[in-house]
Amino acid sequence: MIFVQSMGHQAADNFALEYWLTKKGFDDLVFLLWTTDPTIMLGKYQDALAEVNLEYADLHHLTVARRLSGGGTIFTDRGSYQYSFIKPSVKQTIDFDSFLKIICNALTELGLPVKRSSRNDLTINGRKFSGNAQYNRNDCVVHHGSLLFDANIDEMTAALHVDPMKLKAKKISSVHQRVLNLRNFLPSLSSDEFGAKLKQAVFNQAGKVVNYSLTSADQGEIQAIKARIFANPVFVYGQTPRTAIMKEKYFHGGGLVKLAVNVDHGYLKQIHITGDFFSNLDVRGLEKVLAGKMFQPAIIRPVLDQWLQKTPIQNITTEQALDLLFG
Amino acid sequence: MEVNIMLKNIEMPKLSPKSDDYFFGTWKKQPGDQIKKGDPLFEVETEKVISEVPSDFAGVLKEQKVSEGDPISVGDVVATIEVDE
Repeated sequence: MIFVQSMGHQAADNFALEYWLTKKGFDDLVFLLWTTDPTIMLGKYQDALAEVNLEYADLHHLTVARRLSGGGTIFTDRGSYQYSFIKPSVKQTIDFDSFLKIICNALTELGLPVKRSSRNDLTINGRKFSGNAQYNRNDCVVHHGSLLFDANIDEMTAALHVDPMKLKAKKISSVHQRVLNLRNFLPSLSSDEFGAKLKQAVFNQAGKVVNYSLTSADQGEIQAIKARIFANPVFVYGQTPRTAIMKEKYFHGGGLVKLAVNVDHGYLKQIHITGDFFSNLDVRGLEKVLAGKMFQPAIIRPVLDQWLQKTPIQNITTEQALDLLFG
Repeated sequence: MEVNIMLKNIEMPKLSPKSDDYFFGTWKKQPGDQIKKGDPLFEVETEKVISEVPSDFAGVLKEQKVSEGDPISVGDVVATIEVDE
């Protein structure tokens, strides 16, 4: 087994490291163990609009990142661990067993009564604390797993709560399940102590462990991959070909607002605003200005704010309107 | 020298021991593209795994039979390739 030190606490850096490792050509299994600043991680073919409360993420400075592996959206922070295995020379047939065996054995060594579900999740007492996903590239498989140790479950719930909407898009949907933190079973350990023990327990599964230190040339190549793919908003937000959203809400004292929105690869193609709200707003003019912009709160907010400062809507603020659009 | 052009169907192979159903992700080649045997043709997702599917033939991609985001199953014809014989 080869252990490579992770690239800090940004998911995009570590995704780029994994991708780079599929090109590096190590002939042994590579293992990474990392944590992130608060991040919402989308699966490769998920629709950010359907899975993420983008307004909440923007206001709370949560990073939105996209993996190259499949599966659903997860929330990660410094209290949850991410593990990655990069295995060379694999056949195309899907296999989770060899990776999950290492992690299950390591967690069992730590005294945790873990079980594996049919969806390749890890559970204790029927509650999920780990999800797993993979992608294949350059005859390698990249296996990702997440482990909740002391994650902020309240923030997770808020960030991943998206109001029901009429939404038409071809996408992979998340499966929401009851989750738990492993710290409930290991209360005396800090997150750092748990990470150190987990790393050692994984090493104990391998015959021999070699540490590989990234050179400055390696880091340069990894940063280039990050800029091209994982930090590129088109990759993060533009994976869904077309999404049609219909949302409506009655604002007390403000009236009914209805929004019909078409988003194409992350760009707002068309928005139609109707309702019985009170305002002298040039609605058609605002619709024209918004069309063509990237569909993200940070992009839409200043435009909307400027228009609503000139011609307010009675009892509806910019943030309330954004919450309806992105929440 | 006479060259015979043959049209070959590219079918969705079985990648998973558990499921025969896939989400069609992206095309890696477009109609008219020259393809070598082993080139990634398209990408699918099943059971939280993203897999690139390589071409079994060398030739020119003639037609894409499915669209990005479509559900497909093992054995479905996803493309045709003009193969030089």
